[in-house]
Amino acid sequence: MPLIRRTWTAAEADKWTREDWFVIVLSPICYFALTLGVALSFLLIWEGFAITAVSIVLVVWMHWIIDPKLKAISEEYEKNQHEYLRELEDAVRWKQHEQAAP
Amino acid sequence: MNVLFTWLDWLWVAAFLLLMIGSGVLFYRLGKRSQSDFFLAGRGLPWWLPASSVYATHTATDTPMWITGVIYKYGLAGIWYTFFSAWAAISAFVSTRIFRRSLAYTQAEWNVVRFTGLGAEMLRGWMAGWQVFMNMFVLGWVGIAMGKVCAFLFGWPLWVGLVSFSSGCAIYVLAAGYWGVVMADFQQGVIAFLVIMIVSIWGIMVAGGPTGIVEKLMILGETDRMNPFAFTGWWTGEFPAAWFVTMMVIAILGGFGMGTSIDWYPEAQRIQSARTVRDSTYSIWWGTLIGLVRNSVWAIAILGFFVLFPGMTETSEYEMGWFRLGFDYLPVGMVGFFFAAILAIHLSTISSHLNLGALYATRDLYQHYWNPEASERTLVWVGRWSTLILLLGSFVYGLMMENITEWLIFALWIMTAGIWLPNILQVVWWRFNAWGYLSAWIANLGFSWLVVWVLPEFGVIPDLADYQQFWLLMLLGACVFIPTTFLTKPESMDHLVKYYVQARPLGWWGPVRREAERRGLIQEDSPKPPKVV
Repeated sequence: MPLIRRTWTAAEADKWTREDWFVIVLSPICYFALTLGVALSFLLIWEGFAITAVSIVLVVWMHWIIDPKLKAISEEYEKNQHEYLRELEDAVRWKQHEQAAP
Repeated sequence: MNVLFTWLDWLWVAAFLLLMIGSGVLFYRLGKRSQSDFFLAGRGLPWWLPASSVYATHTATDTPMWITGVIYKYGLAGIWYTFFSAWAAISAFVSTRIFRRSLAYTQAEWNVVRFTGLGAEMLRGWMAGWQVFMNMFVLGWVGIAMGKVCAFLFGWPLWVGLVSFSSGCAIYVLAAGYWGVVMADFQQGVIAFLVIMIVSIWGIMVAGGPTGIVEKLMILGETDRMNPFAFTGWWTGEFPAAWFVTMMVIAILGGFGMGTSIDWYPEAQRIQSARTVRDSTYSIWWGTLIGLVRNSVWAIAILGFFVLFPGMTETSEYEMGWFRLGFDYLPVGMVGFFFAAILAIHLSTISSHLNLGALYATRDLYQHYWNPEASERTLVWVGRWSTLILLLGSFVYGLMMENITEWLIFALWIMTAGIWLPNILQVVWWRFNAWGYLSAWIANLGFSWLVVWVLPEFGVIPDLADYQQFWLLMLLGACVFIPTTFLTKPESMDHLVKYYVQARPLGWWGPVRREAERRGLIQEDSPKPPKVV
């Protein structure tokens, strides 16, 4: 099994997996590094250019990891969205009382 | 200072205002179709539209003022003050996804999706009322910042800048609702980003360029200002590393929760206006990233301002530094272009908060508690009346505020400190219930006033640094909400199962997940292979 999975069934994508945790770690690093790297680059400090370059690579990698999963989640979820929206509208109009779930 | 505007400058201003207000009004027909259109643009936006709105909304008139304030005071290390928006780093992939799946119009509505019964309804009413107040408050402080800019530039009385431009903005918010907001935000975001880059780079060049700034800082004996980690010690001094660590914890781990930052509430509206879960994720992530990059460029421009005007001690004087770079040094005819961009910055924030406050008033208060059977047409009109009331209220608040920074920091503290942890727990822990969350809110309001204002005033505790206040408020809050949670019943399992199946939250949801599996509502994890003996 590969370290990073890029094909998903809907049910599998709904679970929190290793790919999510990779992104949870990478994403703050990208923000931190880009904040720092861009500032130092505008002072023409070479470390700034290096940090910015590395963080751009990380951003691309992060999207490569998570995008297939997000697509799978979205496609599956949108199928059920209409029903969920109807329930939400019932709730705001007090039509939906506490019911036993099936 | 009074800036002299030529006819070309006024032409820029008039053209920009016409473009911004006109393009918002153009979407009148879409905005009036339904409540969903007036407040969420029909939930059908591609990710880059709400992303531009995230960026534009969080570039307010007061933003360059307080960023200038912290960079001028602390040097490049002050940039971490602006890093609070990094909550979106984790949120985009965790709480944004969970919130989008809930489909709640607002964070107040999410409470009744996540919790149930009287506690949930009390939370919804409480949060809705509080958010109406808070949006009016934000409108007031952003509006008065515009008043200050106009007073600085033209010598106008404060109320003129406050009232005139917010009222102009209200035209397209009243007409087209969120459609107008998001479409105007797109062009305002583009204009604002370009002009911020142009003025900042111009300012850097005026200060001698990057190498000139570095050399001048050396001559001034201020090289520490180029060090982004120049703290005054671990625990000591005005800017200790303990503060930095606290900021990182608040910003980054806060992304697991909802409402851990004041920015969550407008972002929640943008999340729901995105057409898919994927679009909502990218809108929050990219919109925030553009803001962080902008802050970095701003920071260097402000270092440039420092080497041009070192030694300022009055906050009210140096917090106008970035504006001065534009108005003092841009060539004739471009000053109006710069002012028009400031208007873009201002209008994008005002429009978002007008529509957001009206959303809470309409959806969570009027419709849910007053007139549940209201027609879509009625709801759109209630949205418009609420917008107008918020606008008028913001004028009152704006004129009450004298010191933006003090109010801003206090408001942020109220939003983050004592309820930071409950805001995470409500997302990641099934056992956390409505009563625990409600008690955290109530306790935090009291504790905030006590810790920040009352107790130091009476000498009961010393004046604490902001990061110390955060940990103390979190500890005090935990002494209330943890016992309350365990002394009250968990939410009903039926309700939790329903929520879990729809939202699929991350964290400690084992009992709920197993119940959902037992009922056949979700697929079980792959069974483990039997042990070979």
